[in-house]
Amino acid sequence: MELIPILSTIILVATISTFMLAVGAYILYKVRERKGIQAVSPQPSEVNAELVTPVSAPSHQPLPAERFIPQPIFIESQSVYQRQQASAQQKTPQPSPQKYIPGPIPYTGYGNQPRQYSGQNYSQQRGFVGSQQNIPQQEDGKPKDSKFMKYTSEGYVPTKEDKNGGALKWR
Amino acid sequence: MKINQEVKKISITLDNREVIRKDENREGKLIKRIITTGTISLILLLVIILTLPHTVLSVKSLLEFATIVALVIFLFVLLFRYFAILVLAYLYINEYTYKAPSGGYSPFVSIIVPVYNEEKVVADSIKSLLDLDYNNYEIIVVNDGSSDKTMNVAETLVGYQKGKYSDVKVSLINKPNGGKAKALNAGIRLSKAEIVLCMDGDSQLSADSVKLAVRHFSNREIGAVAGNVKVMNRGKIFTDLQALEYIEGLNMARSAQSFVRLVNIIPGPIGLFRKKAIEEAGYYSSDTFAEDADLTLKILANGWKIYYEPNSISYTEAPVKLQQLLKQRYRWTRGILQSIRKHKKLLINPSINIGDTFILWTMFYEALIWPAMNIAANLFFIIAALVFGFSSLIFFWWAGLALLDLVTALYCIAVEKEEFRLVGYSLIYRMFFILIIDICKAMSTVEEFLGIKMTWGKLERAGANV
Repeated sequence: MELIPILSTIILVATISTFMLAVGAYILYKVRERKGIQAVSPQPSEVNAELVTPVSAPSHQPLPAERFIPQPIFIESQSVYQRQQASAQQKTPQPSPQKYIPGPIPYTGYGNQPRQYSGQNYSQQRGFVGSQQNIPQQEDGKPKDSKFMKYTSEGYVPTKEDKNGGALKWR
Repeated sequence: MKINQEVKKISITLDNREVIRKDENREGKLIKRIITTGTISLILLLVIILTLPHTVLSVKSLLEFATIVALVIFLFVLLFRYFAILVLAYLYINEYTYKAPSGGYSPFVSIIVPVYNEEKVVADSIKSLLDLDYNNYEIIVVNDGSSDKTMNVAETLVGYQKGKYSDVKVSLINKPNGGKAKALNAGIRLSKAEIVLCMDGDSQLSADSVKLAVRHFSNREIGAVAGNVKVMNRGKIFTDLQALEYIEGLNMARSAQSFVRLVNIIPGPIGLFRKKAIEEAGYYSSDTFAEDADLTLKILANGWKIYYEPNSISYTEAPVKLQQLLKQRYRWTRGILQSIRKHKKLLINPSINIGDTFILWTMFYEALIWPAMNIAANLFFIIAALVFGFSSLIFFWWAGLALLDLVTALYCIAVEKEEFRLVGYSLIYRMFFILIIDICKAMSTVEEFLGIKMTWGKLERAGANV
């Protein structure tokens, strides 16, 4: 038997079945829908509703703006700003000529008395004006974060230094 | 993740008014129409019967002649429609690929999510919105008087939620049931954004859907952008056929329309609007069952252009049962016919807006003429086979259509980078699936013209994930 008559018969049967299925399903749908039809009441001109909304924006949430500044640019500018601020604060203080006036060391003579070095009092002996009170102290008496602090004429300062600061310092 | 737990509840009053055409003497008009069209048909039939003996044709040869002419016209229209859509869609894709505006324009967007008895899917929808690749937006959920636990589920989502790039404000409006159009209007009125995105409560957006669609609004002529709707729940023959239909039937036509900036329907699952364009159009109306088609026509009538963004994807649940599908298509067909009827002035008078006239005729053809032609052609081949014994004709008819659909499906699936397996469904797509749809469309058209009352159907959702 040839292929085309077989395929033709299959398609014919399928098409007729589709027709019957579609019409039957539609009639069934209409019958079921008819049961659910209700009378439509007229709508009022105003209706009461309830709006549920958050009280306020979180502190870090920028208020919605009409024109948006793209996020990456915002982050970039913020970090640059912080870095500039940090460099101004953390710049290594330079010894001030007015403050750094070494006092005269009394001559005691060599050999009569052994020269005693006291780390605690040495700066006072040398007339260092920097206040010891500014040093952040821990309970054990050691400066807080002493590992990362640098002892200068103005007390303990963070060792982190702006890279450009050096160039400016020696210019 | 919720950030701010504090919420406040405010009582508000919503404007429920809308312009509804008055049709008080509907029954009288219907009888008048039946009498007029019946009389004209009788006159034409009498003219044929009286003049036929004076021609070389007999009644039998007249029927044969008429059938052959009708078939030739049908084949010509079929091929013209296919190739016109294909060529325009191809031109659009070329234009989109090389001329689409780059990003950088990021206005504040309000996403309006109307929900009605969507307790199973509303949480997934909102979660998909929090993953958006955009950081200047808010979400407004509008609960349209749901009778299930939708309100409770939605209230747990209110607050500032952790979005992908920023915190996203989620608000909820609880209102009495009034239909999707009124729910969307309530959300749009609350919004302070320049752009509003309207979607369905059961849809889920792709991550870059907003970012890609919003860039087209940098063109001040664009009033709305239509997104691309894809079927979420695939894997069954019935839903796979619908997936192919969305790609081949709906999206390709939308691409072709977008080439002339005249998209005729902004789909319900994803549509972005310039708020000014909606305000000028008078918001959504409830007097048709296709509120999206109606609003689109109103926006076009006001001179705005509408674009289609194929990469703004909204995944939606397709009906899994034949009856649900018929219910959906019944509503679509009658809604489109109601919209056409509502804007019939534009259909008749091209001097008002020639773009609208063109698009209305396209809709009229797709909703009314094309289904009738398809059913008539199939009936012709069935009768030719059963009565006259030309059974092989139906095979060649099927083979021709299947080849045409196969080529179109290959093209569309390649363009959209879709699943290749869907191409196989093109063999049964036109002859069986579209035939069912067209029969439903024809029946709905008859009901619409007879003025039979209809209600909004609510599809049962299973709560599928992408």
